[in-house]
Amino acid sequence: MDVKEVLMELLSTDIPSGCEVDRAQSLVQIFQRYCEDVSVDKLGNVIGRKGAKNAEIKVMLAAHMDEIGLMVKQIDDRGFIRFSYIGGIDHRILPAQEVIIHGREKVPGVIGSKPPHMQEPEERNKALKSEDMFIDTGLPAERVRELVRIGDVITFKRKPCELLNGCFSGNALDDRAGVATILYCLEELDKLQFSAEVYAVATAQEEVGFRGAIVSSYHLYPDIGIAVDVCHGNMADVAEEETHKLGKGPAIALGPNIHPKLFNRLKSIAEDYNIPYQVNPEPSATGTDAWAMQITRQGIPTSLISIPLRYMHTTVETLNLDDIKISGRLLALFISSLDRGFVEGLRCY
Amino acid sequence: MKELIKKLTETYGPSGEESQIREVIIGEIKDHADEIRVDVLGNIIARKAGSGEKMMLAAHMDEIGLIITNIDDKGFLRFSNIGGVSPFTLIGERVIFENGTVGVLGMEKPANLFKNEMKDLKFNNMFIDIGARSKEEALKKVRLGDKAVYYRNCDILGDCATAKALDDRAGCAVLIRVLQNLKSPRFDTYFVFTVQEEVGVRGAKTSAFGIDPDLAIAVDVTMTGDTPESEKMAVELGKGPAVKVMDRSVISHPRIKEMLIEAAEKNKIPYQLEVLEMGGTDAGAIHLSRSGVPSGGLSIPTRYVHTPSEMASIDDIEKAANLLLCVLEK
Repeated sequence: MDVKEVLMELLSTDIPSGCEVDRAQSLVQIFQRYCEDVSVDKLGNVIGRKGAKNAEIKVMLAAHMDEIGLMVKQIDDRGFIRFSYIGGIDHRILPAQEVIIHGREKVPGVIGSKPPHMQEPEERNKALKSEDMFIDTGLPAERVRELVRIGDVITFKRKPCELLNGCFSGNALDDRAGVATILYCLEELDKLQFSAEVYAVATAQEEVGFRGAIVSSYHLYPDIGIAVDVCHGNMADVAEEETHKLGKGPAIALGPNIHPKLFNRLKSIAEDYNIPYQVNPEPSATGTDAWAMQITRQGIPTSLISIPLRYMHTTVETLNLDDIKISGRLLALFISSLDRGFVEGLRCY
Repeated sequence: MKELIKKLTETYGPSGEESQIREVIIGEIKDHADEIRVDVLGNIIARKAGSGEKMMLAAHMDEIGLIITNIDDKGFLRFSNIGGVSPFTLIGERVIFENGTVGVLGMEKPANLFKNEMKDLKFNNMFIDIGARSKEEALKKVRLGDKAVYYRNCDILGDCATAKALDDRAGCAVLIRVLQNLKSPRFDTYFVFTVQEEVGVRGAKTSAFGIDPDLAIAVDVTMTGDTPESEKMAVELGKGPAVKVMDRSVISHPRIKEMLIEAAEKNKIPYQLEVLEMGGTDAGAIHLSRSGVPSGGLSIPTRYVHTPSEMASIDDIEKAANLLLCVLEK
C-alpha cells in the first residue's frame, strides 16, 4: 500500500464532525479494498470487517474520520458571515485563512480582520476572538442568503503537501493518519496468520466528544478495543517530555485508560520484531476514542497507539509517513499474536 | 395554549422532585394516549401506537432550583444550586418550596457588595430567609435537602408569555398539544416528559435506553440574538420554531433536520435554524443511546433563559406544535 496515496485519497473529502452520514460513502469505497464487508451505522461510523465470521476473538480498531471545522451562525446585513466552532479550534490560526462554505453550492470565502494600520495599539498584542472575525465571500447579502443557511459547515481550503525526509503536512491528518494506519494494518494481516475477527471502524464525531466511538463500541462490544489517534510531535518551544519524536514509531499509551496487559503485549511485540516505539504515559483522560470505549457496557480492555504529529488542530498538521507504516505493522503483528488464553487473561487481575 | 402554559410554568418541579408537575402533565394527557407509564427515574412515557418506526419525542419537565444545605441557629437557610442558576439572578428573588413555604434571598455585607465587590457574589455569601426566628421554627417548614424554585407567576405580554420554567414547560406544552391532536400517527410514537435534564440529561438517558427508538426529536427552548447587544445568534422571538443544527450536546442527524425543514416548507410554517453555542438538550443523551439513534431538536426561541422571567412567543409555541403534527401525521 502506498501510504501517501491512500492518505491523499482519505483527505480528498472534508468531513467536519456531524457530516459523516452524508459523506461516509467516500470512505466506504476505500475500506472495501481492505475489508470483506463494510457498513455505515446510524451516526455515520464506517465499519469494515475482516477475518473469520463469529470468531472467538473480536478486535475493534478505531480511528476517527471527522475533523474540526466551522459553522455558519449568522449572516449580517452586508453579507458578512459570523461563525461558530465545530470541535477544538484555535482561534489564533483563523485570520487570513481561505475557507469553503458548504452551502447549496460550495462558496469560497476568506476570513477577514481589521488591518494593522487600523488597529489600536492595545489590539496589536491580542489574538482576535471569533466574535471579531467574519467570512467575506465577496457576494452581496441577498446572494449570500440564497446560497448559505445558518448551520452550513465551513472547511479550510488547504492542499496537503509533502515535505523532506518523509514528512507530510496538511489539515485533518488528525485523524485520517489513524485511518490510514488501520488500513495499512489490514493489508499487513494478509501476510500473517490470525484467528480474530477484526472490525476496522472510522469513527464519527470524535472531535465533539467521542460520540461515534460510544455507539459503535456499544454495538460491536469487542473483546479488545484499540484506538489509533495522533499525539503531539516534538517541536520548537515545547518541552521534550510532553512530545514524541517524528519517525521513531508509534507512541504506545500507558495509564488508567489502558489495559496494562495490552500495553505489555504491544511493547513486547515491538521489541521482538525490532519495531521502534515510544511510551506515552497518560495520567487520566486520553482525549481519544479509547476513553469512551473503555467504559462501554461492562467494560472493554482498551489500548491506544498514537502517531506523533506537530501543530495539532491547525491547517499544517505535520507527521512522518514512516510512522503510519510502522504502527500499522505493529497492530497487525499484535492481532496475529492473539489467542483465546490471552483474551481470557485480560479479564483476570 | 395560554392557560396551559400558565398552569405548567406555575407548577413546582425542580430536578429530582418532579411529582407535582408529573401529576399536572398526566392530567392533561391521560385521555389521549394509548398507554402511559412512569419509569424508575420518574419519566412519563406516553405512547400513541403506530405501525412504523419508533419515534421518541422528549421535553423535560424539570426546572432549575435551589437545595438547602444548612439551617443556622437563627433560622437562615444556606443553599446550593440545582442546575444552571446564577447568583446574580437571585438578588431580590423569592423562592417557593414544595410545601408552599416562601423564602426571600438575602446576602452578606450587602452594602459592600453593591458598592465595591459585586463580582464576588456567590451562593455561599447568600442565604434564604423564610421569616423564621430560630432553627427550631425553620425546621417546622423546611428540612436539609428540601428544594426551592423561583416564585413567579406567568404573565402574558402581548404575544409573549413570561414565566419561570418556560425551559422546558414550553416544550411540555408542545408535546401535550401534539398528543391531544395526533390522529393517525405515521410512527409508533412515544411522548416522553423527562426528568433531571437540568443536571445532565439524566432522564433522557434511561428513557431512551428503555424505549430503544429508531428516531428522536427533543423539544426544548433555545436562546436568541434579538435583544440589545446580545451575543451573535440568528434566532429571534416570533419568527417561528427553530430547527436545531448543533448545540454543545448534539449535532442533529441530517434525516431529522431535513424532516422538520421539509414539513415546515411544505405546510408554509415559518421556521428558523439554530446553532446554539452554550448548553445542550435531551437529544444529546438520546442520540448516544445503545447503537445510536438519529436525533435532532425543535426549539422554542426564548429570551432570558434560566432567569425567573424567561420569555417566549405563544405563536412560536403553537407553530412548533403544528410543525410536529405535520411531521407525525400520516
